[in-house]
Amino acid sequence: MSSPAAPAVPRPRFVPNPATIIVVCAIGLVTLGLIVLFSASASFKQGPYFYLDKQLLGLVLATGTALVVSRLDLEQVRRYAWWIAGGTSLLLLLVLIPHVGISANGGRRWLGYGSVRFQVSEFAKLGMVFCLAHYLALNQSRSGEFQRGFVWPLAIVGVTSVLIQRENDFGAAALVGVVGLSLVFLAGARLRYFLPASALALTGFVALVLNNPLRLRRVMAFLDPEGTRLGAGYQNWQALLAFASGGTGGVGLGQGRQQQNFLPEAHTDMILAVVGEELGLWFTLGIVVVFVVIFITGLVHLRRAPNLFQFLLVAGCLLLLALQAIINLGVVTALLPNKGMPLPFISAGLSNLLLMGLLLGILINTQRTWPRPSLQRDGRALEELAG
Amino acid sequence: MILLAAGVLGAFATVGVRLVHLHVIDRDSLVHYLDRARHEIIVEKARRGDILDAHDDILATSHSLIVLGVDPQLLEKADESKWPELARLINVPLPELSRIFNTKTRPASAGDGTDEEGRIRWAKLSDSVEESVYDAVGKLGVKGVYGDRVYRRAYPHNQLAAHVIGYVNKEEEPVIGMERFADFYLRGVDGWRESEKDGQRHELAQFRTREVPASNGYAVVLSIDSAIQHMVEQELELIAGKFQPQKASIIVSDARSGFIYAMANYPTFDLNAYNALSKDGERAMRNAAVADILEPGSTFKIVAVSGALNEGLVTPETRFDCSLEKVDYKGVSRSLPREDHHFDAPLSVTEIISHSSNKGAAQLGMLLGEERLYGYARAYGFAEDTGLASIYPESPGMLANYTKWSGSDITRIPMGHTVAATPLQIHMAMGVIASGGVLLRPQLVREIRDDTGATVCRFGTVVRRRVISPQTAATMAQMLERVTYANEGTAPEAAIPNFEAAGKTGTTEKLIDGKYSTTHHISSFVGFFPASRPRLVISVIVDDGHPPQGGTAYGRLVAAPSFKHLGEQLIQYLDIKPVTTPVPGLLALGGARP
Repeated sequence: MSSPAAPAVPRPRFVPNPATIIVVCAIGLVTLGLIVLFSASASFKQGPYFYLDKQLLGLVLATGTALVVSRLDLEQVRRYAWWIAGGTSLLLLLVLIPHVGISANGGRRWLGYGSVRFQVSEFAKLGMVFCLAHYLALNQSRSGEFQRGFVWPLAIVGVTSVLIQRENDFGAAALVGVVGLSLVFLAGARLRYFLPASALALTGFVALVLNNPLRLRRVMAFLDPEGTRLGAGYQNWQALLAFASGGTGGVGLGQGRQQQNFLPEAHTDMILAVVGEELGLWFTLGIVVVFVVIFITGLVHLRRAPNLFQFLLVAGCLLLLALQAIINLGVVTALLPNKGMPLPFISAGLSNLLLMGLLLGILINTQRTWPRPSLQRDGRALEELAG
Repeated sequence: MILLAAGVLGAFATVGVRLVHLHVIDRDSLVHYLDRARHEIIVEKARRGDILDAHDDILATSHSLIVLGVDPQLLEKADESKWPELARLINVPLPELSRIFNTKTRPASAGDGTDEEGRIRWAKLSDSVEESVYDAVGKLGVKGVYGDRVYRRAYPHNQLAAHVIGYVNKEEEPVIGMERFADFYLRGVDGWRESEKDGQRHELAQFRTREVPASNGYAVVLSIDSAIQHMVEQELELIAGKFQPQKASIIVSDARSGFIYAMANYPTFDLNAYNALSKDGERAMRNAAVADILEPGSTFKIVAVSGALNEGLVTPETRFDCSLEKVDYKGVSRSLPREDHHFDAPLSVTEIISHSSNKGAAQLGMLLGEERLYGYARAYGFAEDTGLASIYPESPGMLANYTKWSGSDITRIPMGHTVAATPLQIHMAMGVIASGGVLLRPQLVREIRDDTGATVCRFGTVVRRRVISPQTAATMAQMLERVTYANEGTAPEAAIPNFEAAGKTGTTEKLIDGKYSTTHHISSFVGFFPASRPRLVISVIVDDGHPPQGGTAYGRLVAAPSFKHLGEQLIQYLDIKPVTTPVPGLLALGGARP
């Protein structure tokens, strides 16, 4: 801020810092999300404001979470890494117990009371990232070893992934697996361990899918959306129709028809299709571009990481966000088999918003605590940090 | 690191390209699916107009009813406890209801009501749910159960004037009667709206693009008077009970306008239960009064007599020898028909009518000659549609052209043999004399009204042609009055004191297997009153009646009493004033006044 009373001080050129850019992007997405959500859910039987109200509540909670997290001392929190790991595992187990976990849409994934429910796996994702970052950083010098640099990290990823998979949430399990493996890779695991393990994980995942008729049907539907448009591929097909209906310019806010009992989950996982129909190509492309901006900004931000733990933590957060967005966008546009995963910042859902609040909180936190870029111009290479 | 970043960015780029494809490039190939799934044209049924009688009493009307059905795909487990209540409300047995609810698919070949995968999307539960019951069903709120509003035709008076009104079948097609004839007015025009529906096939009213409201059908007001129709139908029941006929028809019309007050046949049927008729129900549905032909018999004598009078060939006092067996005609000796009585003294023309002499009628026919006799018969409307043809399948009757007559026809046709006519034709022929010499068109429709009650058009008297001069008609009326005179006419049973009942009996032997039967007769009395200024024409025609005391079913025994009985009731109902013979003294007094 410059003051007219002190003209001698040159007005500093405003350079937005990465966290600011990401927060602005997030606010943009959330705003668009609220508008489209209202349009998508206005005709629902619960009443026009039901989901809008819930989303606003989630927004308040998420904002609070982000503010709290942004003030924490991450190194202090790191001391409780194993408590966090134990806690999330316990919650994941709790969800599996009948009558404790709440079932819906073919999976038991929720804990909560009444209409306020939390999807534990959302937080388990972040918990896994936190623990993994902690462990990998702890064993930074032994990253090349088989046991310390590979087996144990993989175990952390594997336990979380399998527990989530037991909730019948294949997508989240796969996401956890991919993010976990990426972090292990970033931490410097040997490729000769890493590649076979990745191949094994992939094979295991494919085997699981083939053994599960529902997943298999979804894959088949993905391969032939038109042929299965009245059965397994119905949702995908309706989403494709929504994009076609929207065209370049969209049919206009509130004018979309696909959410009128044609497109299931129009307010959550399929919300991009509603954006596509009502607002058209420019807005859907815009959303993709905003995610790209968030990701690149995050990468730029990463260069300033002071230690491997924080580097891996932020990288994990970034990957969670980006991969979740990619899976959702891929599913809605029928590039990937149907998988229920919310679109970050936009889809309705408390858990999704809270997780995004946590991720943003960590980003703001690191923006605050990490050294300024100017102090970092001593040529410290990223590779150095990564070991 | 760079590898990972490149992978993520590559994935985002792929999504971007895919979006361009979906939004723009593949668009055209997908959009027609949308149209098919969303677009819908909803028909708004027009309400069919009412049929009213002359006093606006409703004879046929349309009730709105709900056809209730279910989409079994939308049923929810939670609603299962409501099924018994629903079954009770719509009066469907619970097992049947459960069966319909639980049948979710059917073979694709079954066709209607299923989607492309053979899932049933609509199964009928009940096709006649009242509005109030439908409200209760709506409150019960079983998901997937919904109804369509339709109009169902109802006939408040059941069998009253069944043949005149006709009915509309379940497919909404008018089948017979006025329903069919006046369908053009009654039907109305269905409205429609072009709109969109959602994934559960509910209309999205906010996306309605075009809307054309339904125009309801017009009401048709008949000349039928329910009260008179009721009297007539009761009379027919009396006849049926007393004489056990095959069939019988009664027609009552206004002598001056030709509008029909009542037209009924025995046997008849209930319009609300037309589909409950047995195999020979077809017979009960026939409007015999216009559709069936019979030999008119002696009632046809009015043609030859009035023709000869009108041509000035005879006067009422001209006498004919009615005991002759043979008469020379155009150089050939023709045998005259038999008589029921032997007349020793020559009969005047008046007596030929009042005694119903066959030989007399034959001689009058010969006096006219074939060409003129045929001409008069045609002028009276025989062998010609009465004009109700478009309403009911009508028979024009039979009367061969005179050039094709055999030698004996000139002696038989004047007494109504070898001629066939419908009861309505005979009725209208008698109407010529009652109306002062003109043949009127029989009419049933008084006016057409739109659904606000405003008159669209009104129908008036239609004179088809002048048949005989007013003087001849007046003379004929006086002669026909003598038919009901005691000790002179053939039908004193038809006499109504002070009301100058006039008419003609008919007793025809039925043609059975090509021979005239002596045990099966058609008995008729066709007449009008009062003779000096006729108000009503009444025909009573009974086919194959059997007097309880046995013997021949003469028109005077079977038909004439009904004419009188009806006439007396109608005098009361229509407040017809008795004919008072003018007292000369009073007239003179009146004339003396300044």
